[in-house]
Amino acid sequence: MKKLLDRIRNSEFLTFSEVLRLKVAIVTLFVTILVILTIPLSTFNDYTSDINILVPIGFGVLVFMTILFTVINFNRLAMHLSIITIVLITVFLTSGGNHFYGYMMLFVTLTVIIFYQDISTYLLYGGGITAYGVYYIFDKGVSIVGVNTINTDISLYTYLVILVGFYTVFLIQFLISDNIYEKMNNDWVRMNKVLGKYQEITFQNLSEIIENNGQDPIYKNVKFQQTVAELCVFVNEFFEDHAENIAEVVEFYFFLHDQDIESVVKSSELPLKTRKFASQLQKYVLNSRSELVSILFEFSNLVKVNEGFTSNRYEYNLDKLFDDKIDKLLSLSILYKFLRTEETQFDKWGSVKRILNHKEITELFVSKEFREFITYEQVNFYLDNEDLFEEHLK
Amino acid sequence: MRQDTSKYQYNQLETYKELLELKHIKTKTLIVNIINVIFGIIVVYFLYKLDLETNKIMSVMFMFVMLVGMNILLYSFEKDLYNNLKFAMYLNTLGEYIIAITLILMFRTPSIFTALFLAYAITAIYQDYKVMITSNSALFLSGFLLAIGYSEIFAIPGITVIQNIFIVVFLFIFVLLLTLSSYILIKRKSFFYNHLAQSKESEIRNLDLQSEVALMNEHTKIDASKYYDSLNEFSKHLSKKIGIDNVFARKIQLLKDLEFHTVLEMVEKYPDYTTEEINQLRMMELAVNDKMRNLGLKASITQDIKVTRKEIFSESQFKSFKHYSDDRYVKIISTVVFYCLLKIDKPYLKKLSEEQIRDYFFNSEYFYLIDRDIIEIYLKNDEVFDTIVNDILKGSWNYEKTS
Repeated sequence: MKKLLDRIRNSEFLTFSEVLRLKVAIVTLFVTILVILTIPLSTFNDYTSDINILVPIGFGVLVFMTILFTVINFNRLAMHLSIITIVLITVFLTSGGNHFYGYMMLFVTLTVIIFYQDISTYLLYGGGITAYGVYYIFDKGVSIVGVNTINTDISLYTYLVILVGFYTVFLIQFLISDNIYEKMNNDWVRMNKVLGKYQEITFQNLSEIIENNGQDPIYKNVKFQQTVAELCVFVNEFFEDHAENIAEVVEFYFFLHDQDIESVVKSSELPLKTRKFASQLQKYVLNSRSELVSILFEFSNLVKVNEGFTSNRYEYNLDKLFDDKIDKLLSLSILYKFLRTEETQFDKWGSVKRILNHKEITELFVSKEFREFITYEQVNFYLDNEDLFEEHLK
Repeated sequence: MRQDTSKYQYNQLETYKELLELKHIKTKTLIVNIINVIFGIIVVYFLYKLDLETNKIMSVMFMFVMLVGMNILLYSFEKDLYNNLKFAMYLNTLGEYIIAITLILMFRTPSIFTALFLAYAITAIYQDYKVMITSNSALFLSGFLLAIGYSEIFAIPGITVIQNIFIVVFLFIFVLLLTLSSYILIKRKSFFYNHLAQSKESEIRNLDLQSEVALMNEHTKIDASKYYDSLNEFSKHLSKKIGIDNVFARKIQLLKDLEFHTVLEMVEKYPDYTTEEINQLRMMELAVNDKMRNLGLKASITQDIKVTRKEIFSESQFKSFKHYSDDRYVKIISTVVFYCLLKIDKPYLKKLSEEQIRDYFFNSEYFYLIDRDIIEIYLKNDEVFDTIVNDILKGSWNYEKTS
């Protein structure tokens, strides 16, 4: 339970599949409580005692299957099964008798579906249960109208409006969230790629520094390899008796630095286990801008002190950065000169030694992606005076 | 010791996150108010159909009008809009429940009792911690008190008192599930705000790192004077071409002076420029400021950045040492290699002490990038880790040779 609460508390750091797994675990817990509740509630139903005994057992089996699917990592299937279980519980509680708590179950079911935050699931199951709710109101609504009711029709319509309203408002919430998060996620993925590009250049320069100094890269250092192996064996001792087994994988990890990992992964002659480790370890090699190298760069950035926030700290559009027309023009000229004279591109030997030529800069300026930096008006100005840019800003 | 994962976080994030959030609160405020107007009309229509006294109809209508009116007022204040809209958000949350409870007490029927759920749904649009706490507490407490204190609300022919207990139980399950759902959703929302803001700051730092390492690799620093000379030449010809006086020359001189003078000195030297204008020009200055360098570097890699829909929600975007599908050995090796790399000098980062590494691992988001079992083993045995590194690695890798 403590582990579950910890995971809820730190859910923002979990991956999508881990969050789904967590949600299934929580829903399963609630569904189990509801299944247990169906036993005393069965006494209020109009069903025969056989049904009142067999149905909760059936629900128990469904809960067990949900747990089983979660254990074997079929999280999506487990999610569907947990929703189906609660939908069936709702149908059971609303069909057997006419009680207000049965009507409340419609909202509980919608809540479970909302909990998963999946729009297609919400449309399918949520839409289904709302439609069932509407049918229920028309079919049995009169029996849950209170004794204080002034007008039965208005009371029925109140039930209807609130149920459909609840579904619709959450649908709106889904659409807003989906829209916002998709855009934010898109921006974030794009930024990840941009950061990857910077880090590739940094990594290349670092490799050249080491090479120019006549040093071996760290992954070739025997003492470093030995330290990694010793620490891995030490950590692995907490997991298994034959802790030294990991040493072989460590050796393989360093061996991979001299191999073309793609060919190792694709090679059908090698055992599946070897290829699997090659594929997984590829993310953490030190001879390319791997995931591990990126994390290390990010870590070094975190340690360093930088200037505070200003309103245009993350702004790169010349039109927004400067108000004055002359400033906009001068900054455009500086940008052109920068691209034309600074080494920013990889050359054919993989070094960052190449500069962009005039034609390439023009292509860049007119490209759609470049609207992040300059406006159409600035592009038109550039195109009108291209000859001056080319001649005097090189 | 208490964990504080925000201890090592970029200090520029909060203000930027506020800017990101403001855009979304505006949309949400607008939608909540549209919904309020729609439901307001429906409620008033129902009250009219029930032939209720005019003053009762007017009082309910007044509540809706007040709520929407206050929102319009707060939305119209441009100054400190973020806090105004936050206030509107709390006002709406309380307003929704006040209206719902008023209607429940007015009619005392089970059908109108469910208006509480609708109030909850409307406030859930905000996805905010304080709103979540207020809304969930209001839903449960009002639901509970009404079920206990006004049991006649649920008086349905054939219903026994004991079933009210089940209503409270269902309400409890309902609120608990909604609380967890909102909590996780808000956490995910914060995660996106945080990561997006973090990536923006990370970009600046990566650009600085790229330039720092490039200089180490014999790349040359921007030669500001060459840039200004070219600008002079270019602007001279441009002025001639378009037939105007060279209005650029003074600005270029000003840019040159910015290298040696503070903003205050510049305002004294160029009295026709305001501090704001000088500050804006500082961004263009090349010898001391990095804005144009960063802009140029960012612009130089802008081609080839394409994002496919498949990548948007791909887990491969999350960099960590605990990928779900990875073997435990791989999780151990990646973590250990990362740890060892922190223990040695690198051109861009000096080695860290054991205390520093432990503190970073425990009090930063790196805690969550490492497999939970492995990080716990490290935190309990950091001295053993340090000893192993000192026994084998110490002195075997001297970056000093290369620096």
